[in-house]
Amino acid sequence: MSAAGRSRHSPAFRWGLLLLLLTVAGGLGYALLTLPDQAVGLSEQVSANMATSGVQNPVTAVLINFRGYDTLLEMAVLLVALLGVWSLGSAEVHRRIDPQPVLSLLVGGLAPLMILMAGYLLWVGANAPGGAFQAGSVLAAAGILLLLSSKRFPVRLMGWPLRIGLLLGLGTFTAVGMTLLFVSGGFLQYPSNLAGALILFIEAAATLSIGVTLAALFLGGRPQAGPYR
Amino acid sequence: MRQIPWEVMLIMLPLTGAMACFFWPRRAITLGLITALGVVVCVAGLGWRVLEQGAQRYAVGGWNAPLGIDLYADGLSLLMLMVTAVVGLGISVYSIGYFERRQAAHFWPLWLFLWTALNALFLSADIFNLYVTLELLGLAAVALVALAGGANALTAAMRYLLVSLLASLCYLLGVALLYHNFGSVDIAILAQRVELSPAVWAAMGLMSAGLLLKSALFPLHFWLPPAHASAPAPVSALLSALVVKASFYILLRLWLEIFPPAGAAPGQLFGVLGSAAVLWGGIQALRQTRLKLLIAYSTVAQLGYLFLAFPLASSVAWKGSLYLLLSHALAKAAMFMAAGNILRFCGHDRIVGLDRVAQRLPVTMTAFALAGVSIIGLPPSGGFIGKWMLLEAALRAGQWWWVIILILGGLLAGAYVFKVIGYAFTRAGVLRQTSRVPMTMEWAALAMALAALLLGLVALWPLSLMEIGLPFGGGDAG
Repeated sequence: MSAAGRSRHSPAFRWGLLLLLLTVAGGLGYALLTLPDQAVGLSEQVSANMATSGVQNPVTAVLINFRGYDTLLEMAVLLVALLGVWSLGSAEVHRRIDPQPVLSLLVGGLAPLMILMAGYLLWVGANAPGGAFQAGSVLAAAGILLLLSSKRFPVRLMGWPLRIGLLLGLGTFTAVGMTLLFVSGGFLQYPSNLAGALILFIEAAATLSIGVTLAALFLGGRPQAGPYR
Repeated sequence: MRQIPWEVMLIMLPLTGAMACFFWPRRAITLGLITALGVVVCVAGLGWRVLEQGAQRYAVGGWNAPLGIDLYADGLSLLMLMVTAVVGLGISVYSIGYFERRQAAHFWPLWLFLWTALNALFLSADIFNLYVTLELLGLAAVALVALAGGANALTAAMRYLLVSLLASLCYLLGVALLYHNFGSVDIAILAQRVELSPAVWAAMGLMSAGLLLKSALFPLHFWLPPAHASAPAPVSALLSALVVKASFYILLRLWLEIFPPAGAAPGQLFGVLGSAAVLWGGIQALRQTRLKLLIAYSTVAQLGYLFLAFPLASSVAWKGSLYLLLSHALAKAAMFMAAGNILRFCGHDRIVGLDRVAQRLPVTMTAFALAGVSIIGLPPSGGFIGKWMLLEAALRAGQWWWVIILILGGLLAGAYVFKVIGYAFTRAGVLRQTSRVPMTMEWAALAMALAALLLGLVALWPLSLMEIGLPFGGGDAG
């Protein structure tokens, strides 16, 4: 709504709105205060099934195994968010910047460390807090640092290499799910002896895609190279 | 041989198609059309299975609810999937002529992701999974609106995004409250465990408010007309025909299964708001000077009818509302496609400047008129059957006042449809340059309109499908 449209609201409307919001907030507050203790949630069932899940971290087990289908759709949400940004317009990328020597040196030292860190977070996700989303965010931060400080924008990577990077996570997840459908008879039904390896495989691909997608979101538009120009 | 799990295919096929279209933008149209045909085959496969064996439940990953996520297909899901497939195929064909190559490369992946979200939503039996599908649906829809470019479309898309996110978050908070109280997010399990408490009332209010906002029920419809009118024509058709119905579907499931203990009062409120939507939307539609805005306000009015089933809450009323939903999806897709053709032909969509479109675009105008028959609710159309059933339910329940709304809404719809048709036959003052409209776009619109009409002629078959799995309770006493 434009500024002209907003100034139209009368004081009565604003007070009415305030009253409505206060009522909603009061009602919600009351509901929360009267909440009973947490009903027996699913944590018992999760711990009972941890042995066959392939990992030791219950969060990872829920995310990739028990409710892996949700995570698969979330990967699609992430990709659609990027497609949404791309449908708005293109980003200027043919710029040349001259990074100061200190920045170059710092990024040159930080980026490999961050990539290593992402790898560690991915690996540790199997039995401690960590996993694809955390690792992907660190990877994305490294990518953004490189984009901001590198002398030349990686134009040649903006075509199919970028698209492979974006699709890898969702594609791998889908491919594993469908392969399991035809091999073990159930969609995303991991055989318990292979579950650990398959989860690591999916998470590795997802980490890369999350990193690439978040870094691409940072550009704020589709890169002016490749077929989506 | 093992059974093919059609429910899984219905979600994974459009998802794979979307990825393929994104990867090979130059082949997007071919890949997209193959995917669309594949989805139609999968719906047929699932339909056959449901007809033979009754309602289907599929545990994803082999974990049953409550630990895992279940997919569930009964007659209600099946009809929603079918109408999505029919409208989706029509829109796919229509879009070939509508978009130039570069736009098509953007349209196809987004549209197939949207189709994935719709199919996943209609098949989900899990309120958290429904939230994820809503997110996918909302983001894809916003991106498609923005595809039109220009200040109007971007402003509308931005407002749509904010509304959609607010609604999703309301819904998610409700999900969190229900999970805290009952330790499950599976609809069937929640239905058994639910007991009224302040927290459940809060969850009910939050989830309903979020879904009403997404379904654009009066007075939460403010975002709909600009978003639906400024999108590209195939996208307008998608949004009005399918996307707003998706959130209505979730609302229907929740109120049929989890929230019945709440009693009749919320249903009466929905009915009053629905009636206001029918009247307000109809009057606003009549006042519009642009064709696409008129059709968008007509959607606001038509969505109102769907909510008249809530105060009646009988089996006949639910079925009538669902019947209206199905026929509105087909008819409104036809109308927006016809409007897109007229916009392409005349270069504008001012209603007074429609300058003998009826003679010069006969197929398109036929499609518009036939769709109008269903929107007004004249026999023999799907709209007529739906309204008839609502009317019967209202009289049977002794709540005659809803009948007045049904009749007034029909009169208003008649007035705005005939306003357009009238101008389409008369000569406008200034003659303008016109452009050619591809055949596929004209015939796709007509096919949708004919399907809406057909729904009025084969009423028994969809009505018997609605019985599978008894989503609306048994018998007519309900």
